[in-house]
Amino acid sequence: MIGWNTANPRLGEREARRAALMALMIVVQALCAVFFIGDVLLDATEGSADSRWHLAFETVAAIVLCIGTLYFMVELRRLWVRMAQVNAGLRAARGEMFQVIDAFFASWGLTPAERDVALLILKGLDNESIAQIRGTAAGTVRAQSAAIYAKANVDGRAQLLSLFMEELLAGDSGDSDPSEQFKPSVAARSAR
Amino acid sequence: MADQSSIFRGRSEPRGIRVWDPLVRIVHWGIALSVLLNGSVNDPDGVVHERIGYAVLGLVVLRLIWGFIGPSTARFSAFPPNPVAALRHLKAILRGDTTVHLSHNPLGALMAYNLWLTLLVICVTGIMMGTIRFFGADWVEELHEAAFDWLMISLVLHVGGVFLDQWRTGVRLVRAMVTGYKNVDRNGPLK
Repeated sequence: MIGWNTANPRLGEREARRAALMALMIVVQALCAVFFIGDVLLDATEGSADSRWHLAFETVAAIVLCIGTLYFMVELRRLWVRMAQVNAGLRAARGEMFQVIDAFFASWGLTPAERDVALLILKGLDNESIAQIRGTAAGTVRAQSAAIYAKANVDGRAQLLSLFMEELLAGDSGDSDPSEQFKPSVAARSAR
Repeated sequence: MADQSSIFRGRSEPRGIRVWDPLVRIVHWGIALSVLLNGSVNDPDGVVHERIGYAVLGLVVLRLIWGFIGPSTARFSAFPPNPVAALRHLKAILRGDTTVHLSHNPLGALMAYNLWLTLLVICVTGIMMGTIRFFGADWVEELHEAAFDWLMISLVLHVGGVFLDQWRTGVRLVRAMVTGYKNVDRNGPLK
């Protein structure tokens, strides 16, 4: 089957890497803090040759290290929550885009094969690549795309794309039944 | 139509839902490795054993703090220690209910708390053995060893539970603890 989102499968990977690095830093810092605090406590209870000032300095350093680690933890939580939100937003947008596109295709009465071809056209592939992906002859794809343009009542791939661009930019056509208002006679062409 | 929509689904979808943040994963495998090293490989009276013990203490404390301030699936509120819920979950398993839990399931939650508590006991008694006040006190060493034995029993139950749940629900839990993603159907029964 043909994936819709092949262009940006790595979206969010950079942030995931950042989160992993941050977590690693937190762990290293926490381990340092444990050894530091252990040293301070041992010095304080068992007594050692170190002066009072030395002990006080070590205590302050240990506390600062703990605060730093806590700060990093809060930051990591924020980053993680934001990643989840972006993810949810993308999914919602993708889902809505699917509904919009599907409504268009349904209203034009495209066959399943034509839907696949139309989707690949929207993704910017030329006829040869589409033929390769679908394992058909280039002539078949040409015939199918001609059928799609005819059913959509546009004269080529640029106009087909502009129909969906129009939908993305319009912004106020959200609530009503898409198949009614998406009849391909509207704004895109009359504006030319 | 389900077939149609699969055309549009992104490549990230089959990976499932991201549940475990990197800190949870690093702490988990860090503790696992440390327990393995201290339990079998190195010399129990050596410096390395001691150092790794301190590291485990640090990791457990870090995880416990994370349980209060971490993201939702890592927080204690997502898996409160509740024996009644665990019993209910056990009954649900026997009924054949395959509801997927995004965080720990109630039984797994009890195991998590059990493991953390046992590790803390091992760490604290281990440190006590090195102090002047408790040096040579038999009960400390006995507690240290008894807690370790209990940890081994828990570990077997833990791993067994993970594979049982994996087989039961089809969610690859081990992989989830490595990658962070649970392969969960978003539209299935979730908790």
